[in-house]
Amino acid sequence: MTVMNASVRLSVSSLRAHKRRFAGTFLAVFLGVAFLAGTLVMGDTLRASFDTMFGNATSGTDAVVRSADAITTPGESEGVREPVDTDLVNTIEKVPGVAAAAPSIQGAGQLVGRNGDPIGGQGPPTLAGNWITDPELNAYRLAEGHAPQKSGEVVIDRGTAERGDLNIGDTTTLRTPDPVEVTIVGLATFGGEDGMAQVTFTGMTQADAEKYLTAGPGEAASIQVRAGPGVSQQELVDALTPVLPRGVEAITGQESAQENTDMISSQFLTVFTTLLLVFSGVALLVATFSIHNTFAIVVAQRTRENALLRALGASRRQVTASTLVEATAVAVTASVAGLAGGIGVAAGLQALFPAIGFPFPEGDLAISALSMALPLAVGIVVCLGSALLPAARAGRTAPLAALRETAVDTSGASRLRAVTGLGLLALAIGVTLSGVLFSPSLWLAGTGAVLALAAFVVLGPVASTTAVRILGGPLDRLRGVTGGLARRNALRSPKRTAATASALMIGVAVVSLFTVFGASLKATMDQTVSRSFAGDVAVSTPSFGAGGSGLSPRLADEVQRLPEVDTAVGLGRGVAEVDGKGRALTVTDPVALERTFDLGNVQGSLRDLGTDGIAITEKEADKQNVTTGDRTQLTFTDGQKQTFTVRAVYGQSELAGDYVITRDAWAPHRTQDADTVLAVSFKDGVSTDAGKAAVEKAAAQYGNLEVQTRDEYAQSSAGGIDMMLTLVYALLALAVLIALLGIANTLTLAIHERTRELGLLRAVGQTRSQLRAMVRWESVLVAAFGTVGGLALGAFLGWVLVKASDGASDSAFAFAMPPLQLAVVALVGLTAGALAGLRPARRAARLDVLRAIATE
Amino acid sequence: MTTTTVTRTAARVVDAVKVYGTGDTSVRALDGVSVDFSVGRFTAIMGPSGSGKSTLMHCAAGLDTLTSGTAHIGDTELSSLDDRRLTLLRRDRVGFVFQAFNLVPTLTVAENIRLPLDLAGGKGDPEWIDALIDVVGLRDRLHHRPSELSGGQQQRVAVARAFAGRPDVVFADEPTGNLDSRSGEEVLGLLGRTVRQTARTVVMVTHDPVAAAHADEVVFLADGRLVDRMDSPTADKVLDRMKAFEVHS
Repeated sequence: MTVMNASVRLSVSSLRAHKRRFAGTFLAVFLGVAFLAGTLVMGDTLRASFDTMFGNATSGTDAVVRSADAITTPGESEGVREPVDTDLVNTIEKVPGVAAAAPSIQGAGQLVGRNGDPIGGQGPPTLAGNWITDPELNAYRLAEGHAPQKSGEVVIDRGTAERGDLNIGDTTTLRTPDPVEVTIVGLATFGGEDGMAQVTFTGMTQADAEKYLTAGPGEAASIQVRAGPGVSQQELVDALTPVLPRGVEAITGQESAQENTDMISSQFLTVFTTLLLVFSGVALLVATFSIHNTFAIVVAQRTRENALLRALGASRRQVTASTLVEATAVAVTASVAGLAGGIGVAAGLQALFPAIGFPFPEGDLAISALSMALPLAVGIVVCLGSALLPAARAGRTAPLAALRETAVDTSGASRLRAVTGLGLLALAIGVTLSGVLFSPSLWLAGTGAVLALAAFVVLGPVASTTAVRILGGPLDRLRGVTGGLARRNALRSPKRTAATASALMIGVAVVSLFTVFGASLKATMDQTVSRSFAGDVAVSTPSFGAGGSGLSPRLADEVQRLPEVDTAVGLGRGVAEVDGKGRALTVTDPVALERTFDLGNVQGSLRDLGTDGIAITEKEADKQNVTTGDRTQLTFTDGQKQTFTVRAVYGQSELAGDYVITRDAWAPHRTQDADTVLAVSFKDGVSTDAGKAAVEKAAAQYGNLEVQTRDEYAQSSAGGIDMMLTLVYALLALAVLIALLGIANTLTLAIHERTRELGLLRAVGQTRSQLRAMVRWESVLVAAFGTVGGLALGAFLGWVLVKASDGASDSAFAFAMPPLQLAVVALVGLTAGALAGLRPARRAARLDVLRAIATE
Repeated sequence: MTTTTVTRTAARVVDAVKVYGTGDTSVRALDGVSVDFSVGRFTAIMGPSGSGKSTLMHCAAGLDTLTSGTAHIGDTELSSLDDRRLTLLRRDRVGFVFQAFNLVPTLTVAENIRLPLDLAGGKGDPEWIDALIDVVGLRDRLHHRPSELSGGQQQRVAVARAFAGRPDVVFADEPTGNLDSRSGEEVLGLLGRTVRQTARTVVMVTHDPVAAAHADEVVFLADGRLVDRMDSPTADKVLDRMKAFEVHS
């Protein structure tokens, strides 16, 4: 007890005396914990509010009747189901316990806003359906106006109306994808909100919905059923099940709502929160270095004090404990403050997101015990873990150290470290290369990446001396003695320089990794388009995300009739099970396809696919072990099985897809028709501008579609990547900020150590501005070391990721090194270094010369 | 004591008053001191601890400011200078030798000697510096770091540094305080030789009569006042004066 008391007393008085030293540590832990807690709270809140929203919206629906089987293609979370017969409503209404039943028709329909631009379609679905007249069964509630009564009248959700600046009485175009002129007669809400997140909804009369959204009349996606009084949802389902035909199932309203919530979660929330968690992980990792460094320096500076304590009889444990207690105090205060900060972050996002057009429902934040306990634990563990080694070192202080002058650890890298580091590096390179080149595997490559990171961190002190000498070489010439002093100061303690730079290195490495990966993705798309797109212009729907209604198949026919056009081919999308797995089919005119897209080496012919022929890529053909002339069976969403003959096997698939069938073959199984892309090639002698203008004119009637040249087409495919990168950079700014705090903190502590030396320099004639420049340049040098290391590591890991993805996945990845962006990253790193040095430099310059000289 | 011959002064203070703190806790470290340091002379400032000798040196050298009165380096009045001009003045016209921690540990001996010149961005006078290196006898140590030198050697480097820019005056604050007597003797001999051979001016604060004996003149301070001056001092004379002085006070 007394042992601890003495330690605690020492820690408390030391903390009080050196508040400033721990400001950096406090901030690092605070930011990391706040980010982590904010992410968790936000995720919980979003999930809870979606739950409530779906619960509210569908509270009147007690059961949903739909087809039991869904065909899910890779990369999609929601399968495609066979429609159910609307006549089933009559059967269901007769079942005892049923109060009401209504068919629900669902399709895609994208509204055009007042300014002529389509609303939404950048990810969240753009839905259209029949307006269910029974208000209990309709997930949407009429808020203003009236329900659609005649053809062309629609109700839209209020959120969409606001985004498109549309009001009751306005007439606009609905792309289904055929343009339909609609008049807005009512505005609706969803589960008490203006809309269901960013999803747009248009409710039409049942006749309109059947006409535009289904393949034929009498089909609906599902039937919503309401129970009579006293009948539970499960009782209702049990009553319905016996009357349903084969392949049709009934689920409770609660299950249906849960499915919807899960779908939103998996599509959006999980991705989003995982991303945020990864970044808080990076931020905390960076914080670890900053914290470790602070404690290492503080312990080093306190060597004489600790030695005195040891000489006076304090045990090793007491000295270690006093440092640990100090660390605990910082960890707990910073983590608790971080929790408060995290709640603030979540509240801030809640206020901010709607402003940038992102869904974040109002209401209380969902703060669960886990989302508080986890960040708290992580913050404390990270902080204490980082302080462990320095604390142990403090305990090892020899009593004699009190008599020695210098307290700074100036030892360079040990041989053991160099050997360990090089060994790790060799292992990392070996593992990565085998994961990339020999047996492509993301796991192996990932392990290699982690090893490489560890190797860089271990090798930091080994490399720092040489690196700073080289990087700082020009400083002597450029900045004279000021630059020379800065360089030598950065060289003073290789371990400290390396640890400080490591934090920035990790931040910069992740930034560079994403930069390289993003550029490679873009290059991949560019390469795909230039390799396989032989047309002149394209009309495409957003490729990043599934929203939008697609293109009308009629557009291809219309464009084909233009005098400027040689070939216009629309690519539709179908779904079927091949070999037991859901597959996307390209539904098109195969002959025109071959003329506008480079399909590579084609065996057989795409000329005569007819209604029972299919073309397959080499890759898929190999997998299924089929070749031209063989037969393969497709199961469509309507449950029909049909045998197709493989008439052609082609080499390239990036734009054309893996399976091609004709429109005629698809027609019997079709759902809502839509093309994903229209590719157009012009006749000889038609300029791109003239041809593009003609296509634009034709496309205008289809609801302001964008016509793109080849280059624009390639770039628009890459547009989503830029958006993703921007988000990533914004998130990584936090990690870089923590790294900079670390540099500033280390410098401040170093200046404290060098007080007398700075006083001497000032006495013999160093001006304040020279002194400031000296500190800033030291900061820039440390940052430069971190930045260069980070760039090298990030570029290497980017290459690994691209190559491993290339090897491990079916699609071909191109690797691209973006020199300009990486130069910007380097510049940002250096500038940030200069900024980090500002405050320590100012503090150093404020030193009173006399007091500095007098400092013992 | 009056001076009959008119000599140029390298540094002087007139009616110097320095008060630390305010109210009841205030201390008058200097209480109206006027003293000239003539060009080409080696002057020692002596006095018991607390007599204000270090304060006098700091104020005369532009490291500290006076509460009232004036301090001059050559013809320049120091109180009118801002921090930047004071710094430039120290760099170009004043040299310093402190008791300890005189050298920048990251710089070599040669770099430490050239430090004020390098900070000024000028070349200085290479022949002069070359001659200085010989005078302090460190030619074979030019590329060593301070940590590789003995205390005496370090102080000799500091002396060379102090004279490198041909300053109007060099201020030395207990330059032998941390040295053994033999090394101290070397450093003091060096200071004296440099003054006589090169017509430089040195003002040295010390409490050691043996050190003071190396000077041309000794000024005695007590309780912030100038109490005596002594020409051509010897260690015994200085010691006697100090003893007498202690009896008086």
